[in-house]
Amino acid sequence: MLLQLNNIFKWVNSGGQRIFLLKDINLEVQEGEFISVMGPSGSGKSTLLNVIGMLDDFDEGEYQFLHESVHALKEKHRANLYKEYIGFVFQSYHLLDDLTVKENLEMPLLYKKFKGSERKAMVADMLDRFNIVGKKDLFPTQLSGGQQQLVGVARALIASPKLILADEPTGNLNSQQSEEIMELFKKLNEEDGVTIIQVTHSEQNAAYGSRIINLLDGRKV
Amino acid sequence: MFRNYFKIGIRSLLKNKTSTIINMVGLSLGVVVCMVILIFVQYESSFDDYHAKAEQSYRLVQHTVLPNETLYWNTTAYPLGEALRSDFPEIENVTQVSGPVRRTFKVEDNLKNTKLFDEPAVLFVDSFYPRTFDLKWLAGDQNTALKETNSVVLTKQLAEKFFRESSNFQTVLGKVIYLQSKDPLLVTGVVENPPANSDHQYSMLIPYEFFKINNQYATSNWSGNYQGSTFITLHNKSGQQALETNIDSWKKKYLNEKDEKRISYKLQPLNEMHTTTLYGQSPGGYIMPQKVLTISLVVGIFILLLAMVNFINLLTAQSNARAKEVGVRKVMGGNRRSLVFQFILENSLVILIALLVSALAISFSLDFLNNTLTIFSLNLQLEWGHLGFMVIIGLFIVCFAALYPAVVVSAIKPVQALKNKMPIKSKSQFNQRKSLVTFQFIIVQLFLIAAIVISYQMNHFNSVDLGFSHNSIVITEAPQTEKSRVFREKLLANSAVSKVSFGSGPPMAVDGFQLGTNFRLPEQAEEEALEAEMKVGDSSYLDFYDLELLAGRNFLTNKEEFDEFIVNETFLKSFGWKPEQAIGKKIQINEGQATIVGVVKDFHNNSLQHKISPCIILNWAFFTNKAFIKVSNGGLSVVETVWKDVFTNSVYKYNFLNDSMSKEYHVEQLIFAGFRVFAIIAILIACLGLFGLMSFLVARKRKEISIRKVLGASLTENLSLFTKEYTILVVIAFVFSAPVAYYFVHQWLESFTYRIDLSYWMFLLGGFITLAIALVTCSFQSLRASMANPIKALREE
Repeated sequence: MLLQLNNIFKWVNSGGQRIFLLKDINLEVQEGEFISVMGPSGSGKSTLLNVIGMLDDFDEGEYQFLHESVHALKEKHRANLYKEYIGFVFQSYHLLDDLTVKENLEMPLLYKKFKGSERKAMVADMLDRFNIVGKKDLFPTQLSGGQQQLVGVARALIASPKLILADEPTGNLNSQQSEEIMELFKKLNEEDGVTIIQVTHSEQNAAYGSRIINLLDGRKV
Repeated sequence: MFRNYFKIGIRSLLKNKTSTIINMVGLSLGVVVCMVILIFVQYESSFDDYHAKAEQSYRLVQHTVLPNETLYWNTTAYPLGEALRSDFPEIENVTQVSGPVRRTFKVEDNLKNTKLFDEPAVLFVDSFYPRTFDLKWLAGDQNTALKETNSVVLTKQLAEKFFRESSNFQTVLGKVIYLQSKDPLLVTGVVENPPANSDHQYSMLIPYEFFKINNQYATSNWSGNYQGSTFITLHNKSGQQALETNIDSWKKKYLNEKDEKRISYKLQPLNEMHTTTLYGQSPGGYIMPQKVLTISLVVGIFILLLAMVNFINLLTAQSNARAKEVGVRKVMGGNRRSLVFQFILENSLVILIALLVSALAISFSLDFLNNTLTIFSLNLQLEWGHLGFMVIIGLFIVCFAALYPAVVVSAIKPVQALKNKMPIKSKSQFNQRKSLVTFQFIIVQLFLIAAIVISYQMNHFNSVDLGFSHNSIVITEAPQTEKSRVFREKLLANSAVSKVSFGSGPPMAVDGFQLGTNFRLPEQAEEEALEAEMKVGDSSYLDFYDLELLAGRNFLTNKEEFDEFIVNETFLKSFGWKPEQAIGKKIQINEGQATIVGVVKDFHNNSLQHKISPCIILNWAFFTNKAFIKVSNGGLSVVETVWKDVFTNSVYKYNFLNDSMSKEYHVEQLIFAGFRVFAIIAILIACLGLFGLMSFLVARKRKEISIRKVLGASLTENLSLFTKEYTILVVIAFVFSAPVAYYFVHQWLESFTYRIDLSYWMFLLGGFITLAIALVTCSFQSLRASMANPIKALREE
């Protein structure tokens, strides 16, 4: 088992009222799963993803990640945990515009204190694997959206995480580019055993996964 | 890691060119101004502290208590030094000095050609002088060089000028020069030129013994006060108080009863001579009041603060643009510490470059100041210590100006940042920005108001009716009084010269030269005597300077024994006389007795920092060694030709009266020039900051502006979105700056006897100029945003 959420609640107080963003979420994710989270706007998909990614807090409930109790961990430990095991992919790619493709890929490695020679090897490997060697010295703005998301996925993968969290990874892409990214996810999941949780609006994209979780108003349905 | 940050840092600086340049220019300006002021203050505070015994050395100064005032002099009676030496063995060293004075010398070079030199800084010193004041000997024996009466020690500069000898000064020893073309002086030594940061400026040293033999009356006169200074060195500093007390009870041994009562001697530390105004400037030196130095430092620090505030504001404003990066980096595993480090490194780059630029600019500025402010004998240098200090300033800026924004930016939570929801913690951030901007406005207004008031005061200076005519007047020496008449006739034969007069000096005392005396009615006791200025003028003096006679008549002729006085109105106030009543009254002064024959209307006989004082004009033949010549175009060359034709064995030199008078205000002029420059720089820095700040604010409000525009807001309505805030801030700033400015300019004006009245519009003007500048600066950016096509901005969302 990779992670387990038990009775997770998250709320905000607004005008004396408690508005629930997540309500009693229970979820168990095994290693090697490919899960799609679906639901209308405001149903809490992204919030759930952020909670799983430890970027956001929750107010009640328990969260086990690789047998660590996340809810009991201090901020710093939590950060170390997600740094080591989780890779993120965003709808709007979130590449740093001032860095070249190569440097964008290298950035997470810098924070994980890899040596220079190791970093070089890992970056070269990624560039190779995603067929973007020729683009390594270009800046994100010089790439198409699909290519940018390719770099985004490569960046998420570079430190070999156990889990990839993707928040509408194809939301800004056309259908052909979407398909390529989804194929890539599928391949990663099947061949490399990477666990993937993605948020998506598209039935078609959700079909790539092994399991679908539907949310409505913060509740699993 | 480091290299990576460095690379990214440079890229992001290049990308935000405008704000990088604004940051660098603003910071450099601040650092340059602060450092230049610091170096200037340090230099002015270092006067005469290079002497090994400067710390324990003192100048004797004299307080003279008169019935109506107390006089503070930095000169003392000539016999004082010798008496102290013989009666106070506990004093480590006493040295008596006279001068510096102007003398001419005849010098014979190797080819037997004789040449005349006019030397303005001849100092007479006794053989004890080198025990208090350090001399660097280039040739000669320091123990014996000043022992022989007819000897002279030249400075390097004079040795070069007289004998064209610039390296082997031994060859100069044994040569003879002739003082006033008659007294032979044997060169017994050559010393290094005194450093520029010394009030003791001399070009040669002649034994005091020589002066004593030639001025026996003056050098033995305890009641006289001429150009003598006495310096002492104590074994240790703590002896100062005790010695002053001892001198107080000791002085009656020498002073007559009248003087004993009113004269007291104090010890003034050597290193305060240059910055204390009470005793006036040393002969040949100038004073840089401590107050001016303190204010300068404050100004420097404020300008640096202004630049730092800019830096902080721009960096914090930029944080919005960097939010996404922070979010991404955090998600990718960056922790807060590494982000703070990254941002600080990035900004340190800006600071480093700004410091390098500053160092260059400082060294140029110092050269410029050395060459322009020649009146102050500046020798400002950028030294290693200063560069070291700049590094400290740099670190200070890193700590205070770069750390804060870095901490603010790095605190952004990744989820919010990535969702483009800026942490509108902005309530505090907003207020912090507002208060920093207000702080800038306060400083700018302070400078502006000060500059306005100072410029009005200076203008007042230049427009005050001095009570005498002073334009186109050339003053030369008239070294041989017997030739004065010939000189006058030859001058007047030329149409370029309209009037000529002779006397001791122009109506306003300039170049520190003023004759003083005591006056009383013959029947009054000596201790009732009051102090007056004494002037000597010939029968054309009144007409020459357009001094208006209120009663009586002009002199008829000048005599060896004067017998007639013309006095000013202020003089009459001492006795409560009307002008007509004074005519025919007999007055006793130190130099003799005479009858008042005329009363002139008051004229400014002192520079405008001081009041008009009682003034007596004498028909004496003595002291008529200055020639006043009114010239028109081309007159100057005529004066020179005639002068050289008439006077022999002397060196021609001249001054325009107006130039000499303006020198009396050099400190004021420096302050004026300083404030003008600082006000401009302060405005410039603040404008840079506002401009930079606006570009970020406008970027943040682009959407709002577009929506408003779509909904029908007019251009001015949109502009007021920005201008309203700044107007309020300027007004708030004014509330703070006006009273502070009032306090300072009021204090400053107090030091002038003739001053402008402060009025409210000077302050309002300062406020309005700030407002205008602020609005123009901010409209520049917001106008562009308000005029842009709204669709563009909205589509970007």
